[in-house]
Amino acid sequence: MKYLVLLIGDGELKPWPEHSEEEQGAVMRLFEAFDAACREREGVEILAGEALAGPTHATTIRTRGGTTSLTEGPYAEVIEQMGGFYLVEAPDLDVLVELLAILPPYDMQVSPAVDPY
Amino acid sequence: MTAPDGALEQVVREEWGRLVALLLAQFRRLDLVEDALGDAVEAASRTWPADGVPTNPAGWLMTAAKRRVVDRLRTEAVAVRKQPLLLTDAERHQEGARTMADGGSLLEDDVLRLVLMCAHPALAPESATALSLRLVLGVPTADIARLFLVPEPTMAARITRAKKRIVGAGIPFAVPDASVLPDRLDAVAQTAYLAFTAGYSPGTGPDLLRAELSGEAIRLVRVVLALRPDEPTLVALLALMLLQHSRRDARVSDGRLVLLADQDRTRWHHDEVAEAMRLLAAPRLAGPVTPLAAAYVLQGRIAAEHATAPTAADTRWDRVIGLYDLLLQVSPSPSARLARAVAVAEHLGPAAGLDALEGLEIPDSHRPASVRAELLARTGDADAARAAYDQAIAACRNDVERAFLLSRRDELDR
Repeated sequence: MKYLVLLIGDGELKPWPEHSEEEQGAVMRLFEAFDAACREREGVEILAGEALAGPTHATTIRTRGGTTSLTEGPYAEVIEQMGGFYLVEAPDLDVLVELLAILPPYDMQVSPAVDPY
Repeated sequence: MTAPDGALEQVVREEWGRLVALLLAQFRRLDLVEDALGDAVEAASRTWPADGVPTNPAGWLMTAAKRRVVDRLRTEAVAVRKQPLLLTDAERHQEGARTMADGGSLLEDDVLRLVLMCAHPALAPESATALSLRLVLGVPTADIARLFLVPEPTMAARITRAKKRIVGAGIPFAVPDASVLPDRLDAVAQTAYLAFTAGYSPGTGPDLLRAELSGEAIRLVRVVLALRPDEPTLVALLALMLLQHSRRDARVSDGRLVLLADQDRTRWHHDEVAEAMRLLAAPRLAGPVTPLAAAYVLQGRIAAEHATAPTAADTRWDRVIGLYDLLLQVSPSPSARLARAVAVAEHLGPAAGLDALEGLEIPDSHRPASVRAELLARTGDADAARAAYDQAIAACRNDVERAFLLSRRDELDR
């Protein structure tokens, strides 16, 4: 299955800018460990993953009555803090959850992609 | 030869979970398996009385259910419909995906896979509980609905939604890595305990308590314990449930709840108390256990103090208080604080109990106010007691308990 993993909130971690340089390095090594663990695990592949610019750079697109309007900012408050995402191929939820435990303890949302075929 | 009805009932009761598990392992179609097995049971109820009970009743049901599934799959193949399949660890084997931390410690039991799938933490607790009763034990949907005091169509929809979610979210029919298995078994325990306590939440009319359905939760724990003997959380939970369940016949009289102190102790099931006491003495519970297991052990020991007291007056309230103190360290909760305050009142008098209640609130619950009212009444402060009863009555959402509180309040005026 393909899963979209949204790194959606800092949870108990302090905000990124408040990390010292060493602390930032330590967090980055967790992301690298996650990459490595996914590479080693058969049936698992990171298809995409990016850090995202902050909510001030987000644009919301809405179409109403055939007219598309753009507004500044994120779609909803709930994803205002979204810091990044992964698109991961994994055999099932248990395997994915096990691997995600390697990442810094962000609040996350995991959504399976719908197989169109 | 066994009577056909009795034989069918027995095989359904004992083998349902194993049959569901085997069918899932083979076909991975969570949407078809339960219906197919239901059809097989229906066919058995028609043919066994005429043809006699087959020598292998479970095998007969399995064959009939398999035929049903295969028929459905053929129909679907003609319609060229692709259905999402349940993920199994058989699939992980094929993909060679089990390279990490697979030290051969995995259990390959189909029923355990079924239990872990139904009680998966990614399912809402009520859904997990309903699904476990339905798929592992074969409890009819109508009975599960009665247990949770909801209409049958509501429960049927909840179970269907849970099955769709399992397939949609990718919850596997698999035993997880050994490092997370204890946590997952704790989730199974919580699932079973939720079913158990549902039967003891007061309803109205003939459904005042649904204790016989609570007994199904005990059966669920026994099924899992048979697969994972000595699992501390499950051993402790079984003891706790047996102790609470042993009082079922004494808890209701003439359609009213009977408080612990007023119960006829000869009507308790003392064989169940004895089994629970043996379980609580298990050496495995003396070692390091998870916080959940520790909480069940302590609650079990508290229940045991009541179960082994010859009369209510003989209760060792000092020991009960000590056990609540430990429980509040392991698993602090307002309801445990409330229960401790009741024990303090019994041991040291109502004024001490009121002190122990100080500042205690449970959102949306009438219980703190009703205990406060009772203790105020005992101190002789009828006005304050009446005000506390009024508060409890206003917060109470259950007809039976409200009637009880109203009668206590009216007794103040006599």
